[in-house]
Amino acid sequence: MNTLISSFRRNRTFWITLLVLIIIFALGVRGLVDQEAEGGERYKNVVITILRGLSTGSIIFLVASGFSIIFGLMSVLNMAHGAIFMVGAYVGWTVAVRPDTVVDATTPIALLISGFLLVPVWDQIIKKIKISPALSRLWPWLGLILTLLVLGFLLPKYPITSWDVGSYEISPVNFAFAASQGQVNVPEPEQFQGISPLIGLGGILLGSILAGITVTGFVASRRPTTAGRAPQPGALRKSLINFIIVALLGLLLYIFNTPISNFLYTLDSTWLFIVAILVAVATGAGLGILIESTLIRPIYESHMYVLMLTLGVNAIIIEVVRSIWGAPEFTMHRPSVFAGTGEGCPAESFGDLLQYKCSTIRILGGRVRTYNEIFITILGIVVLIAVWLLLQRTRLGMIVRAGVQDSEMVKALGINVQRIFTIVFSLGVGLAAMGGVIGAPSTGLTTTLGDSLLINMLVALAIGGLTSYPGAAAGALIVGLLQQFIIKYGQIGINIPFVEEAFKPSPPLVPAMTVLLMVVILLVLPQGLFGRKE
Amino acid sequence: MENTSPSPTRQNSFSDFFKGNRGILITILLLGLLPFILALFDGQPISSLLANDPGKSKFYQGLAIEIFILAIYALSYDLLLGITGLLSFGHAMFFGVGAYLTGIMLKSFGWSLLPILGLVAVAGVVMALIFSIVLPRVKGITFALVTLGIAQVFYIVIQSRELVNYAGAEIGLQGVTPPEFLNPISHRLRFYYIGLVAVFVVYFILKRFVDSPTGHVCVAIRENEDRATMLGYNTFYFKLAALMLSGIVAALAGAMHGLFSPIIRPGIASSHYTIAVLLMILMGGIGTLDGALIGAATFRLLSFWLEKWFGGASQVIIGLVYILLVLFLPYGIVGTWKLRGYKVKQGWVDLIERFTGKKQET
Repeated sequence: MNTLISSFRRNRTFWITLLVLIIIFALGVRGLVDQEAEGGERYKNVVITILRGLSTGSIIFLVASGFSIIFGLMSVLNMAHGAIFMVGAYVGWTVAVRPDTVVDATTPIALLISGFLLVPVWDQIIKKIKISPALSRLWPWLGLILTLLVLGFLLPKYPITSWDVGSYEISPVNFAFAASQGQVNVPEPEQFQGISPLIGLGGILLGSILAGITVTGFVASRRPTTAGRAPQPGALRKSLINFIIVALLGLLLYIFNTPISNFLYTLDSTWLFIVAILVAVATGAGLGILIESTLIRPIYESHMYVLMLTLGVNAIIIEVVRSIWGAPEFTMHRPSVFAGTGEGCPAESFGDLLQYKCSTIRILGGRVRTYNEIFITILGIVVLIAVWLLLQRTRLGMIVRAGVQDSEMVKALGINVQRIFTIVFSLGVGLAAMGGVIGAPSTGLTTTLGDSLLINMLVALAIGGLTSYPGAAAGALIVGLLQQFIIKYGQIGINIPFVEEAFKPSPPLVPAMTVLLMVVILLVLPQGLFGRKE
Repeated sequence: MENTSPSPTRQNSFSDFFKGNRGILITILLLGLLPFILALFDGQPISSLLANDPGKSKFYQGLAIEIFILAIYALSYDLLLGITGLLSFGHAMFFGVGAYLTGIMLKSFGWSLLPILGLVAVAGVVMALIFSIVLPRVKGITFALVTLGIAQVFYIVIQSRELVNYAGAEIGLQGVTPPEFLNPISHRLRFYYIGLVAVFVVYFILKRFVDSPTGHVCVAIRENEDRATMLGYNTFYFKLAALMLSGIVAALAGAMHGLFSPIIRPGIASSHYTIAVLLMILMGGIGTLDGALIGAATFRLLSFWLEKWFGGASQVIIGLVYILLVLFLPYGIVGTWKLRGYKVKQGWVDLIERFTGKKQET
């Protein structure tokens, strides 16, 4: 009891803010209770609105948690987070609607990655060869030109069965529409045109190896002394084995391209959705590794430049996505488990739900969409617990928590901070991509998806506290609930005493209200609800 | 912050002014002659140029006016970020407020120009005061986020259905008729010279502000705010002064945009427009007022040519330029120039050194 009172005294502002928020929430709930209805149906609107708020909050949380951990550990404000959310959504859509395109695209990507796995080997070889410093500065440039020539010639020729943004018949919009109607028309796979497949595949492999050599050359010519790091025993063999595995994977995918994509087309959309989540997370994490290791690592000490850099990355990603998938908006169909509309639907109980795979369920007389409201909420809670366990119970989580507290000290303890940074960055960005796929069936796909989410996420983090994990959860919850309550009140109107007409907040007021709440909370608690005091 | 150097006499300071700003004055002269030079190359007679007949010169005058507007806007942001060190992501709001106020007041209320400009300046101050509510409480990144949020609200409100009669929702504000003596179509040459004068008046006012004791405190706040506080300055007032001045200038730039462009699109109030101005002063060099001018010109010309050559892919290339600038040229054009005192010859020697690894003899 004493500790409770003393904690109240110390954090008086926090508890009062929390109390005010709870009172506002209670008032909001009270206003939604339908006084004329009978029994449980009175609370129909309340339940639906809270569920919607939870699901909106879950999506925001999936993105915000990664962002806040990255910011806490590395002090990097990754403004490209929203863009990667969007990439996740688009990649997930592609897996769910056009798996053959993904299979096609995997081969060149695997071949391109494989070349970079050989970098440690080249490093050792270059160290052995003695050449004049002038030449050692010159040849990477020649390598770069050669690489660009080879890849620039071969990559556009690589056959990827995809869509055409220009014509409606084979545009993503039309494919999305067909998929939502349950039709699957497998397009003819394209073949190499003009050159033999052997030259094409071998050339790409050669180009990626050349790229690896070039990168090694650049790194070596910048190194102050020729000594470098001594290789760990077995490291060379390991990198060679990795290279062979990845390159073989790419080649095998090319050989068994048609059976694999046909198999994916026959898969049920639920399984395909799981594949989509995995692929999107892998894409996001891969992009994360790429961005972190090439762009952020050289300058991450100067925070403002990192901020500007990620803004640039954000713009580039949005433009690339727009050029690949086109600007028009389209939808993603829900996995079949959540799409049933036939007999027994809407479900009356959870048993019915599992039996008939309904798209809606009746709770207290109101219809709730199983995917949008229930599945996303459950998934958000699962991720919340999983990341919390990762942070609290594993060695990586321990290092991350220590790094958030004091990153200098972690460095001093001899932990390879750079590797931890890369892992955490790719994990956080991967979570954002996962949020993208999961949100896509309910929000649809637009190129402005990332921007609007980024704003919501920043507001949520500013409310909860920028570097705090519980803060991210609380902020996402508050923003989600507030948004959905205002939308609901926009439909039914608020009765203000002494005013004849009910006040209906219009949709633009939704983000305005969340920002207003953020400003008020920041005025009272400048570090957010759960943030550390500076 | 006291000036220890002996205060120069009036005569001296006048000639010093000419000596110190030689480059700028030559630039003004060249820009003043630019329409005539272009007409000369195009073979357009002077009388036709003065009558604002269409031609190459008139087209490039339009481009130059856009650069002037962007330059004023970039100057105001440089005062905020480069001089005072306040990272605001809501600066486009000031620009948008200026443009939309001008457009709405001209179109729907029929005000004349001078009261509108006064109103725009007042609006800039009011917006700065709204930002300043959070100024003493939050610092650094959080301030950036709060300003981003506030500006985003403005961006959304300007597009809302309720204001469609005034602001034209997503399409933008169309059909604004500027006063006849400033019509950008029939009196473009006049608009050009007014824009040119406006840019350099703003430039010299801001330069004077930076050189004043208040400006010195602003620089001190950028370098180390705690230390400025410890020296006895109430940093809030200085930051507020910079914010207000910057807000007024940006809003006036917006007003010029509202007068010049045929459609006022809501995009000018979005966060992309803040990022664009960030890119401009990054190109020119943060914290150098000259850099804002050069950066604005580079940015507009670059995007103009890139759009001409690459079409849709130009945005990606601008993004790449942005990233390369941050990675390899963080001080921008002017910053790098000032930092190293680059001579052209030295630059060549460095380039050769970089490729060959051998020390060249200068």
